[in-house]
Amino acid sequence: MREITLSQAVNEALAEEMRRDETVFIIGEDVAEAGTPFKVLSGLVEEFGTARVVDTPIAEPGFMGIAVGAAMTGTRPVVDLMFGDFIYLIMDQLCNQAAKTHYMSGGKLSVPLVLRTNLGATRRSAAQHSQSLHALVAHIPGLKVALPSSAYEAKGLMKTAIRDDNPVVIFEDKLMYQDKAPVPEEEYLIPFGEANVLREGSDITLIGTSSMVQVCQKAAEILGSEGISAEVIDPRTIVPLDEETLLASARKTSRVIVVDEGHQSFGVTGEIASRINEKAFYHLDAPVLRMGAMDVPVPFSPALEDITVPTPESVVENARRLVHGEMIHAA
Amino acid sequence: MPHEVIMPALGMAQDSGLIVAWHKRPGDAVSEGDVLFEVETDKATMEVEAQTDGFLLQVRRDAGDDVPVGEVIAMIGDSKEDVQAEESPADAPLPADTDLPTGREVIMPALGMAQDSGLIVAWHKAPGDAVAAGDILFEVETDKSTMEVEAGHDGFVAALLAEAGEDAPVGEAIAIISADKPEAPVQRSRKSAPAAAPTAPPAATAPKAAPKAPVPATPPPPARAEVVSEHDRILASPKARRLALEQRLDLNRLVREGYPQPYHVKDLEILRSLPAEAAPGPSSGARRITAQVPSDGFSRFALWAAEQAGLQDDGALLAGLAGASLKSDGAVVAVETPVGTRHYSVPGRQFGDVAETDSGTAVDLVLRDLRSSRIGSVHLGPEDSPVLTVSARGEGFALTLECASHHLTASEAVALLSDFAGRMEQPLRHLL
Repeated sequence: MREITLSQAVNEALAEEMRRDETVFIIGEDVAEAGTPFKVLSGLVEEFGTARVVDTPIAEPGFMGIAVGAAMTGTRPVVDLMFGDFIYLIMDQLCNQAAKTHYMSGGKLSVPLVLRTNLGATRRSAAQHSQSLHALVAHIPGLKVALPSSAYEAKGLMKTAIRDDNPVVIFEDKLMYQDKAPVPEEEYLIPFGEANVLREGSDITLIGTSSMVQVCQKAAEILGSEGISAEVIDPRTIVPLDEETLLASARKTSRVIVVDEGHQSFGVTGEIASRINEKAFYHLDAPVLRMGAMDVPVPFSPALEDITVPTPESVVENARRLVHGEMIHAA
Repeated sequence: MPHEVIMPALGMAQDSGLIVAWHKRPGDAVSEGDVLFEVETDKATMEVEAQTDGFLLQVRRDAGDDVPVGEVIAMIGDSKEDVQAEESPADAPLPADTDLPTGREVIMPALGMAQDSGLIVAWHKAPGDAVAAGDILFEVETDKSTMEVEAGHDGFVAALLAEAGEDAPVGEAIAIISADKPEAPVQRSRKSAPAAAPTAPPAATAPKAAPKAPVPATPPPPARAEVVSEHDRILASPKARRLALEQRLDLNRLVREGYPQPYHVKDLEILRSLPAEAAPGPSSGARRITAQVPSDGFSRFALWAAEQAGLQDDGALLAGLAGASLKSDGAVVAVETPVGTRHYSVPGRQFGDVAETDSGTAVDLVLRDLRSSRIGSVHLGPEDSPVLTVSARGEGFALTLECASHHLTASEAVALLSDFAGRMEQPLRHLL
C-alpha cells in the first residue's frame, strides 16, 4: 500500500469531501492564498477557489462565529484553527453556541461543523503554542472529539467528522504532520466510538491517545523484549468513548496505564482511569495509572520541555512497577 | 576568508529543510542580501539570503535535497578560486587550547526557538579592549532575529575564538574575558581551533538529541517495598481479594508466612503452593465418636414415664439421661430440636428433679434431638459446648458426640458416650 504523510492524508480527506459535497468549505487564517499552515491545505484553493477556501483576518472569534452561523444555515464548514492553543479565543462560539444549538432549538437547527486544530509539545514552540487542550472541549456535552494517531486515522476520522451532523473537534498532532503511514487509495471512513487495538497483550493495557499512541507502541516493544506482554489501544475518539473495548482489555490484563499528552490533572487520563476503576474494579490487580503532561506551562527550554511529556521509557518504567506488584502511591 | 552557507533553522523545531531551488549558480558573484536559494520546511517555503559578498562556490546540495539544519551546503569565497585551500583546516598545525589566556568564557547563548547555533554578525570589541559587563560584545543572528549580546563580565577581551560570519553552536565558548589586561590577546576563527573541541556537538547532529528524550531514570527500587498493614487490614488488589474469596484462600496465611504486602494475583500462587499448616496440637483438635443403639428401650421407657410418673416431656427425659452421663453434681443441658431449644437443669439422678431453666444459663452439654428428621449422620465440628446428637438410623438411634479436645479428654469423651449409649439402651438403669 502507498504511504503518505498525515498532512497529505488530511488534504485528501478535505479534497474528497469537498468534491463529494459542495456545501463543504474551509475557513481560517492563511488557508488559501496566504500559504497554508503546516502546508496541509496545499492545492485546495487552486481546485476549489476562494469562495470555498476562505482566508480570514487574524480574528479567531470572528471566523469561528461566521462558521457556526453558516453551519446552521445548511453548509458544512471546516474551520482551520492554526494552533490548538487558540481554542481559548473561540470558547463561546464553540461551547456556548455550536455545542448547544441543536439542543436549545429543540432539534430545529444543527451545526454540522468541523474544527480542525492541533495539539502536542516538544516542538520548541513555548507555552502558548504547545498545549494539548482536548480535555477542555471533551468536557462540554454536544461536542465530539477525535484524536487521530496516524495518517490513516487522520483521513478516515476527518471524512467521518465532515459527514457528522453535529460539531466535531479534531486535534491533529503537530509533530506528526510529516509522519508517513500506509493509506489506501480507495475511500474509507473510520466510525466514531470504536477503539483500535493496535497490539494484543496479556499482562498490561496501555491506552494511548494521539501522539501518545506511538509512545505506547514503543513502550510495548521494549516491554515485550523483557517478557512483559502489553496490549496497546487507541480510543480514536474520546467523545464518544469506546468503553466496552477498554473495559474488556482491563478485565483481561488487570493492569492499565492511560497515556495522554494533555495535562495530567483533571484530564483525559483521569476520566478514562476513573471509568475503568468504577466498572472493572474487581478485575484490577493494580491501580490504574494516569500519565499525562506535567502540570506546568510547557517550558521553552528543550531539555525541560522534553521531560514534561510521557516518553516510551517513562511508560516502560511505570509498567514494570505495576507488573512487579510494587506499591504505587502516586504516578 | 570563505563563508559557509548552511541550511538555516527557519522554523520552530525544524530538523531539516528541502532545497526547492537555487537562485545562484556556482561561480556567480553574490552580494549580501541576494537570495541564494529557496527552502521548504514543514511550515512554509522561504527564501534564504547570502550573508556576505563574494562568489558562490562548492554547491554541495542540489534542488530537491532534504538537508539537515546546520549542514554546510555551499561556500561563498572572496574569489572564484580561493576555496580549495580552505578545505581541510584540521590538517593545519593547531595551537593547543592551553595556549588560550585564562579568564571567564563567553558562550554562544541560546536566543531563539529551537536554536542550535548562532551566526556571529559582528564583534563590537577587539582583542585587548577593556570591557564592562553591560557593554555590547557581539551581535548574533538566529533563525528569528539579530540580537546584541552583552559581555557579562568586567575585564579585558583576552580572546575572540570565532570570527564574524561564523556560525557557533549554542554553548560553545567564543570569547574569553580576563581580569587583567592580556599580554597576548588571541583572535582566531572557529576553524583554527584545536580539532578536539568537545565543547559542543556539531550543529547538524544536535537536533537528534532533542525530541522526547527519556525522563531521567529513577533509581531502581529495591526488590519490593515492605508495607506494614494498618489495623490488621491486609493490603491486596481488588482482583487478588476477589479470587482469594472465590477460591477459599486465606490471605492471612501469607501474612503469617512473612510475605510482604500488598498482595496481587500472582501471590495467590505462592499461597496455593504453601504446605498445609502443621497438624493442630492436642489442645485444639476436635473429637467425634459415634454409637448405635436400639430404639425400643427408650421408647418403652418414655411410655412408662408418661403413664407412671407423669413425665410427658421427651426433652426432659433426654436431658436427664445425658446430664447423668456427665457424672457431675449438676449440669445444664440444652435440648435442640428442629422446632427450638429448651434448657434443663439436671441436678442429679432423679428425673423428678429435672427442671426447665432459662436460656441465659451457661450450657454444659447440648443434646441435639434429630430423631424426627431424616438426618442420619452428623459431622459438624466442635461448638462452644460438647454436643450429643441423637438421630434415627434403621431400627435404632445413632448417637454422636462431638466436642473440642479441651472440653473433654479422649477417655472422658469415650466414657460419656458409652454411658449415654447404655442409658439410652436401658433407661431403667438410670433409676438404679
